[in-house]
Amino acid sequence: MNELFRNTLSPTQWAVLAAVPPAILALYFLKLKRVPLEVPSTYLWRKSIEDLRVNSLWQRLRQSLLLLLQLLAVALAILALLRPGWQGTELTGGRLIFLVDNSASMSTTDASADDGVSEGDRARLAVAKEKVLGLIDQMDRGMTAMIVSYAGEPNVVQQFTDNTRLLRERLATIEPTIGTTDLKGALDLAGGLANPAQVTVQEGAPEVDVVPAEPATLFIFSDGRFGDVQDFALGNLDPIYVPLGSGKTNNLAITALETRRSESELGQLQAFVQAANYGAEPVDAIVEVRRGERLVDARRLSIPAGETAGATLAIGEANSAAGEGALEARLSRETLEGANDRLEVDDVAFAAINDNKASRVLLVTSGNIAVEQALTTGRVDRLGEVTIEPPAFLDSQDYETRAAAATYDLVIFDRCVPKEAPRANTAYIGVLPPGEAWRQRDAEDAPVAAESVTVPQIIDWNRSHPLLANVELGNFDIVETMLLTPPPGAATLIDAAEGPVAAIAARDGYEDLVLGFPILIEVDGALQRNTDWINRHSFPTFWLNVLEYFVARQAVGERSLRPGEAIELRPLSPASETISVTSPSGREETLRRRGEQPFVYRMTDEVGVYHLAEGGRETRRFAVNLFDPAESDVRLRTDETPDDAQAAAVASIKIGNINVAATAGAAPARHELWRVLLVGMLGLLVLEWYVYHRRVYI
Amino acid sequence: MPITQPLLPPDLARQLERLELVTRKVFRGRMKGERRSAKKGQSVEFADYRNYVAGDDLRSLDWNLYARLDKLIVKLFLEEEDLHFYTLIDASPSMAFGDPTKLEYAKQLAAALGFIGLIRTDRVKVESLGGLQSPVLRGRRGVSRLLGFLDTVEPNETVSLEAGVRQFCLRNHGKGIVVLLTDLMDKAGYESAMRYLVAQRMDVYVIQILSGAEIDPDVAGDLRLVDCEDGDAAEVTISAPLIARYKETLASFTAGAQEFCGRRGMNYLLTSTERPVEELMATWLRKRGLVR
Repeated sequence: MNELFRNTLSPTQWAVLAAVPPAILALYFLKLKRVPLEVPSTYLWRKSIEDLRVNSLWQRLRQSLLLLLQLLAVALAILALLRPGWQGTELTGGRLIFLVDNSASMSTTDASADDGVSEGDRARLAVAKEKVLGLIDQMDRGMTAMIVSYAGEPNVVQQFTDNTRLLRERLATIEPTIGTTDLKGALDLAGGLANPAQVTVQEGAPEVDVVPAEPATLFIFSDGRFGDVQDFALGNLDPIYVPLGSGKTNNLAITALETRRSESELGQLQAFVQAANYGAEPVDAIVEVRRGERLVDARRLSIPAGETAGATLAIGEANSAAGEGALEARLSRETLEGANDRLEVDDVAFAAINDNKASRVLLVTSGNIAVEQALTTGRVDRLGEVTIEPPAFLDSQDYETRAAAATYDLVIFDRCVPKEAPRANTAYIGVLPPGEAWRQRDAEDAPVAAESVTVPQIIDWNRSHPLLANVELGNFDIVETMLLTPPPGAATLIDAAEGPVAAIAARDGYEDLVLGFPILIEVDGALQRNTDWINRHSFPTFWLNVLEYFVARQAVGERSLRPGEAIELRPLSPASETISVTSPSGREETLRRRGEQPFVYRMTDEVGVYHLAEGGRETRRFAVNLFDPAESDVRLRTDETPDDAQAAAVASIKIGNINVAATAGAAPARHELWRVLLVGMLGLLVLEWYVYHRRVYI
Repeated sequence: MPITQPLLPPDLARQLERLELVTRKVFRGRMKGERRSAKKGQSVEFADYRNYVAGDDLRSLDWNLYARLDKLIVKLFLEEEDLHFYTLIDASPSMAFGDPTKLEYAKQLAAALGFIGLIRTDRVKVESLGGLQSPVLRGRRGVSRLLGFLDTVEPNETVSLEAGVRQFCLRNHGKGIVVLLTDLMDKAGYESAMRYLVAQRMDVYVIQILSGAEIDPDVAGDLRLVDCEDGDAAEVTISAPLIARYKETLASFTAGAQEFCGRRGMNYLLTSTERPVEELMATWLRKRGLVR
């Protein structure tokens, strides 16, 4: 749209408008209806008029000053309706689709509105919105446009409409997110909405357009931080890629923050922090680690250009005092300023530290002094609360409620089997879990009873598995054991000469540990040892490992979530109907659940530590972090031209088989004059009114 | 026409009692009045001596001087005379404008001046240009008759200024003071009318009464101005320069009248109906010498 004028009215409207100046003239020259007024004498008036009529030409000019002003005002209004302007983008086709990337990297402040690739200091998203606004302003009559924002999930901001005011309003509602970029989803959405008539009539047959699809111009506003889009046919979408940002923007990011129990010190926690440097220069970064409000440690990391560096540091007691449940690693301000960091959201990472007290362990046994003893050590106490119930408890309503509500972190079944597996990690001693997974079938598909062997020879155990860490198993005997047939994907823990006797397998997000041999067996109403393992040092160590593995790991070293990821939350008390989750920004949401299902929280769209409260008491925390190299590497994707970095062109993006070249500096907003003209017209109106009212003459 | 205000409020009357009409010319009155006359006559106030000539009244001889000087000396006494005071009111329809109307204002003025004359036992007569005339009034008792006559004057006389004045002059050829109360708005001009008065050799006061709307018109828009007397219509578009022009014209008109009157020994006063009569009597007319 580079012509000077743009038509905004239909011919009919123009005709009406064209009639306005003649109408003004006509009204002006038609004899005015004068108001009669009786005066004592017209003597003096006549003389006055005669005096004034002496220079009548001049007088007439004075009289028509109002007319001239009015005509000038109308002329300005007409000129404004022609929308004079210069520079602009040619908008073709009747339909426009604006895909606005609002992923985390679009918050980088390195864009400038003038030219897409030159470095500025404004947020990319703000510039993108400005460009879209400029394009909306240039829409012709009859053009419709649609706005889609895309980060983790595409979001139709505004459906096809020709209401530019609505488009502008909706455009303003696009907020930066911390999500990742998913252009494919946005393209699918845009394509589907743009060409709803495309249906595949027959499998394998080409798409048939039931209605002739209208072509649409697809504006993609992005920084190109995503992979090529496969499996998408643009069809009649005409893509224009408007790159935003700069190819030389530096950014430092924390790419990992994990907590774990110190291996060397009891009850102590360690944090592992990793930072990445996406700049072209090596950086000495200082990472400050805070626990709650307290600065725990600060480390200097030397990160070469394009590399990562990590450090492990002690962060104190596992049992956190009040307000110490959140761990925060932050790149120091000096580091960020020195490295000219342009993206804020990844300069900080969070980890949640949960207390172990919250963990619950259930031991179901008809009496097993050995395991009970092993679960009463001081360290086990710190890890969780162990409840011991008889097998009859499994039939109670209470148990069913709790099992379904995922109240327990670990349930140990000693020589007894529940009707179905609970929503918890489980350990089975001397029995097989319910269900078919661990059971072998014969040729007729009938269940085969597990094979038993007496005095098996233990030949190997999985020393690398955490359950068997620091455990020596070669020095005890077993009287009788089942041979296990673990399901696919299971890890065998202990191998006897005849077959596996202990294994662990995953089940729906939980894990089942199965020991093929009981520890104690009941013979003639009295308990007897089935193994002399209970006399070895490795026995309590093994159970400590079990608790560490199932309970403590979950409590401390929980993996942080990605923005937008949903989390399943289990209440401490099975009776809880509601729990409330407080986001890092203080937004509180109360979750309800249906029946015994765990609560599901989806609003993880902020970086930080979320607090979970149950019955008014904080019970748990979890962290959400960006941790996305694709988003943290905020450099605008450029073609590989190692010889001359300056000349590196902005890389095109590939959609399906089509390369969409970046149109650098594209989509300039048209500079329009109509506002100035309208203001001028209003000024003229005011002047005209002044002239009329104050009887001002030239 | 309702009279919103008594023609002669008591306050004004009290104030006026201290005043008297003054004339620069000395006229012969008809009756003995309270006014000193140029004529030497019979009063208690001594004026001069002169030699006796045959025919003088012997009663006025100063016998003491004759005894001392052996000469016949006549003692002259000042004669006190009355004064002819005419008020001529223009009662044309144009006088019906203003608030109070110009005619009302003129009546108040006429009442005030007449009152002064009456309490000084001058001969007071009020006439309208159309020919309405009051009887010659004299003395304090005439006040009520004066006011009664003024009430009968209505703004419905269509006689021109010139014709009215000429008739007046024909009716009254005695000397004295004549106060002409008019707006001078006569398309035929006021000059010929004034000349009649000059020829009458009277002490002439012309008080031009204009309403506030005539002096500072507060009108706007496109108007068709209709003359209330002859129905003449003038189409005007009111504008700032037109208003300014009007004021200029009015100023030159009044200045012309003042100059015309001044040259002919007449007194000219311009007043607005918005100026209270009391103020006019107390300051203006006093300054101009009509009253003392």
